[in-house]
Amino acid sequence: MFKNYLILSILLFSLGLIGAVSRRNIIIIYMSIELMLNAVSIMLVSYSSFYNTNTGVVLSIMVTAIAAAEAALFMALFVTLYRKKKSLDTSLFNSLKDTNATK
Amino acid sequence: MLQSNLLFYILFWPLLSAIILSVLNLFIKKELRSQILFDFLSVAGVSFSAVISLYLAYQNYVFSFDFGYNIYTFLDLESLKIDFALKADALSLMMLSFVNPVGTAIFFYALAYMRDDRSSARFFIYFNLFIFFMNLLVLGANPFIMFLGWEGVGIMSYLLIGFYYDDFSNIKAANKAFILNRIGDFGFLSGIFLLAVFIGVDGYSFEALSESYYKIEPFYLNLIAILLFVGAMGKSAQIPLYVWLPDAMAGPTPVSALIHAATMVTAGVYMVARFSDLFSMVEEVGVFIAYIGAFSALLAALIATKTYDIKKILAYSTMSQLGYMFMAEGLGNYSYALFHVFTHSFFKATLFMGAGAIILALHHEQDIRKMGNLKDKMPALFYMMLVAALSISAIFPFSGFFSKDAIMLHLFSSGHYLIYFIALFTSFLTAFYMFRFIFYIFFSHKRDIEVKATSKLMLIPIGVLSFFTIIVGFLNTPELLGGDERFSLWLSLFDQRYFVSHLVEISLIVINTVFILLAIFLAYLRFYKLIRLEDEASTLSKLLSNAFYVDKIYNNLFTKPLHKLSCFADEKCDIGFIDKLINSLAFGYIKISKKFSVTQNGSLNLYMLVSLGGVSLMMIYILVVLL
Amino acid sequence: MLSNMIFIILATNLLISSFVMISTKRVIDSALSMLIALLSIAGIYATLQSSFMFITQIIIYAGAILSLVIFIIMFLNIKDKNLPHEPHKTRDMILTSLVVFPITAVLIYFIKLSDFSNLNEKTTSSIGKVGLELYQNYVLPFELISILLLISLVGSITLARKEKDV
Repeated sequence: MFKNYLILSILLFSLGLIGAVSRRNIIIIYMSIELMLNAVSIMLVSYSSFYNTNTGVVLSIMVTAIAAAEAALFMALFVTLYRKKKSLDTSLFNSLKDTNATK
Repeated sequence: MLQSNLLFYILFWPLLSAIILSVLNLFIKKELRSQILFDFLSVAGVSFSAVISLYLAYQNYVFSFDFGYNIYTFLDLESLKIDFALKADALSLMMLSFVNPVGTAIFFYALAYMRDDRSSARFFIYFNLFIFFMNLLVLGANPFIMFLGWEGVGIMSYLLIGFYYDDFSNIKAANKAFILNRIGDFGFLSGIFLLAVFIGVDGYSFEALSESYYKIEPFYLNLIAILLFVGAMGKSAQIPLYVWLPDAMAGPTPVSALIHAATMVTAGVYMVARFSDLFSMVEEVGVFIAYIGAFSALLAALIATKTYDIKKILAYSTMSQLGYMFMAEGLGNYSYALFHVFTHSFFKATLFMGAGAIILALHHEQDIRKMGNLKDKMPALFYMMLVAALSISAIFPFSGFFSKDAIMLHLFSSGHYLIYFIALFTSFLTAFYMFRFIFYIFFSHKRDIEVKATSKLMLIPIGVLSFFTIIVGFLNTPELLGGDERFSLWLSLFDQRYFVSHLVEISLIVINTVFILLAIFLAYLRFYKLIRLEDEASTLSKLLSNAFYVDKIYNNLFTKPLHKLSCFADEKCDIGFIDKLINSLAFGYIKISKKFSVTQNGSLNLYMLVSLGGVSLMMIYILVVLL
Repeated sequence: MLSNMIFIILATNLLISSFVMISTKRVIDSALSMLIALLSIAGIYATLQSSFMFITQIIIYAGAILSLVIFIIMFLNIKDKNLPHEPHKTRDMILTSLVVFPITAVLIYFIKLSDFSNLNEKTTSSIGKVGLELYQNYVLPFELISILLLISLVGSITLARKEKDV
């Protein structure tokens, strides 16, 4: 039973990873990252539940708090970027790219 | 020793003049210049050198001092030590005693000649440098230093021929002179390299070399002699490297007078005389040199009879006289050759300066057909040039008589009669073309030509030189006329002397003089009252007036194939192969780096994917290898 | 048995909605399927009998963060033409899956290999116990998180402020 929770957590993590790497929409990338954080949370809570401690839950609370802070920053970032480029495409956010290199 | 230091100052003053002039020329605007200062700087160096040269020559003549001055060691190898050293013996001082004084006269003349030229300062910089290099050539104590001077006068000649560089034909003439001289210099350089290879260990100064010539095998000795003579051929305009000299007249007239008549072209004669101990050991080469000289003299004299450019006539005449000098040197009498160099520099400089004065007076007209009847308008110039013409034609008692007759006598008594007859015929032609020249310019058809007045500054140097033309011949009065050939005694070179009876000597002089007078009479008949111009119909005259088509032959034989080869090398080898190779290397790198630059495309996703790929590979490693 | 069934249903729901979330084109679809995924996770916390996390998940994630995301999406009023142009989306996702697969495979393999025989039964973790744990052993990190939140507050205001014309 415990292993099922862990495998679920890992599958969820992999889905988040795939979304974060393959998509170019920055909001979807952000949500994929949230998904990966949740996957970790599931794992922590399930450990905590099966080993009869509260440490995992506490850590999971920390993760949630950090996710909230991150969310605030990301939202501000989206607004700024969208104002600048009128798009959410990550491939347009390339001010640091060497202009001599060709695609 | 103080007097040896003077050798250094002979070189130093013209060089200093040139340096100061170039600095002033750079930094002072044309309008702000003080004319007197520039004039003084222009002539000061060579005048000092002339005074010093004459003083040293006098010292040497009276007390037989040889002067030597070692400036520094130029090169010190185990097997070869070359000093930057100067040496003045009788031969060098003889050269100096006419190079610098005649040079001074021409410098004064050039002051007047170049007055209105906008780049006269540049002219005098080159002129002073030329005098510096000429003195270096003459004073060099070993073949290497001599070669430095030799190249220096070559480059100055090049710069001065191309002085009016906005005219393309002048640049062509300058290049022609320079390239043909390169061929000669190649011979000279190879010769002195061979000398260094064979006897460099025993010392490389002229004295040390002359003691070691016997060590070289005869074959190599001949080779060295011929190679050295090739150098002389280039510098002194002998067949087959003479074609540059007529074209070199593109430079300003003082240049023609100083460089291409009086001094630089005689460097070849001087060089052969300097190596006289070497050349006296190889008689076959000597005969070869004599024949080259003879044919050059004949060819040039023939061409000169049909030339109409006032300066080119004199150029061919110079080449012809140089031929005489080589005839004498080839048959072993160096001092007669050098005496002819000595007298020739006076009368040929006079003729050239006179020609320059006429050219200026007639507003840069150089065609003698458009001149005529100038005797009344410029009488002084007429008498001066007449003296020089009589002198070059070898009429007693002008200087040319003494030098040329000595050569003729030597040619006859040495037994090479073919050379003698060529020389005799050339002497006849010389008188003919010189008086054709005189009659054409000063008499011929009575037409009215507008003449600009000639400045005094121009006439005085011509007068001085024409005066010397009369008297310098007596320096080497032959025994027949009560002299004792002091000049030859002073030089004391490896002369070959033949003794002939006075009867033969007198008859030779008479024959020669009769021929010359006949030539002058013919010229008088033909040109004194010229009504119509010469016709160009006959084949011979066409051949002559086109200078035997030698330029054309050289052009087809050497220039065009080389040009084609260069074009081939340019188009096929350089652009087609080497450039392509290098370009494809460079562009290949660009292409390859473009391939790699795809990874640096700024795409966030790709970066993440790649870093993830690294983790992924680690996992595959764990799966496959560790488990 | 019933709890197993509930777990399987929730897990399936979670995975499907996550997949929909990472693969849809429109952002709002993605956000809504994420809402489903987050609620499913809350359900999974419930099956783990962790009541505090269940509540937190619903209040903070589904209630606060996701509503913020949806608010931003609405606020930016993103048109279809402003969406990123992703012609090779399928290809990219398959490629990325191939790259991620070994990682997933290794992790699952290790989990299968592990021995969890000395497990306790699931125990209920009450809010009180969690609170005690938090304030007894983790006071300092807890306080630091408040500073972190403050910093992110200031940072987001700075970022989102309109730039002055230079």
